[in-house]
Amino acid sequence: MLAPVLGPVLALGVALAASACGPASLGRSAPPSSIDPTAPVVTARDLAFDRSEIAAPADRAFSIVFQNADGVPHNIAIYADSSLARSLFVGEIFIGPATRAYDLPPLASGSYFFRCDVHPDMQGRLLIAGAG
Amino acid sequence: MAAPRPARNPINLVVRVLIVALTLATAYIHSTLGGLLFTLNAAGYVVAALAMVVPLGLAIRFRWLVRLGLIGYAATAIIAWYLTGPRYDVAYAAKAIEVALIALLAIDLARNDGNPIPILRAALGALARSINRQRRTPGRSG
Repeated sequence: MLAPVLGPVLALGVALAASACGPASLGRSAPPSSIDPTAPVVTARDLAFDRSEIAAPADRAFSIVFQNADGVPHNIAIYADSSLARSLFVGEIFIGPATRAYDLPPLASGSYFFRCDVHPDMQGRLLIAGAG
Repeated sequence: MAAPRPARNPINLVVRVLIVALTLATAYIHSTLGGLLFTLNAAGYVVAALAMVVPLGLAIRFRWLVRLGLIGYAATAIIAWYLTGPRYDVAYAAKAIEVALIALLAIDLARNDGNPIPILRAALGALARSINRQRRTPGRSG
């Protein structure tokens, strides 16, 4: 019974998996939007962010350049705190190696929580301080 | 408990092929996500896919349990994702595959084993009798 089952199974399994992970979800084709040279850069490598804190100005829109150096999907999502009760920004999830510039809305001064939504162990703090 | 029946019926064979294909597809997707949890999840799906087709007497006899176990496994993955998982296209595809997998497993279970409730009841009864027998075995300190 095994032999007639295995061939079609493998073909169908590969086709289904390939369609689920097609180019649209790989995120390699879209180039980064115009990148602010002063924007903080965060890199994800080996299932970890390269920094645990990001600083940005208060009360004005800003960008974060996110470099995904892993061959797995990551993003940066920002929450009011680690309870995740209030989501403030959810960056696009994409597979590396690739880079995205996330454009964030103005935030009030304070400390916020960020993490990768796919790998919640990857996390840090976003520090918003007085403009300038 | 229902006697094991080989899946020689063409419909049974198609259903079984689809189950294994969907199981391997979701295993593949989880294996591409990185991290221990996703890797273990993928490994679990691969083991379940093998258990669905391996022609060993023990696996054939307990195929009903494999089906129920895989239904529970996929349902747990869906619930865990609903509670904490990221919302994006690959995740939606994986969950759609798991929903289809549960539906096919229910069909396979109904076609091969009938109503799973009496099967589970009989299995739990057998387990309880076995435990009671061990408790009554002389020479055991109470």
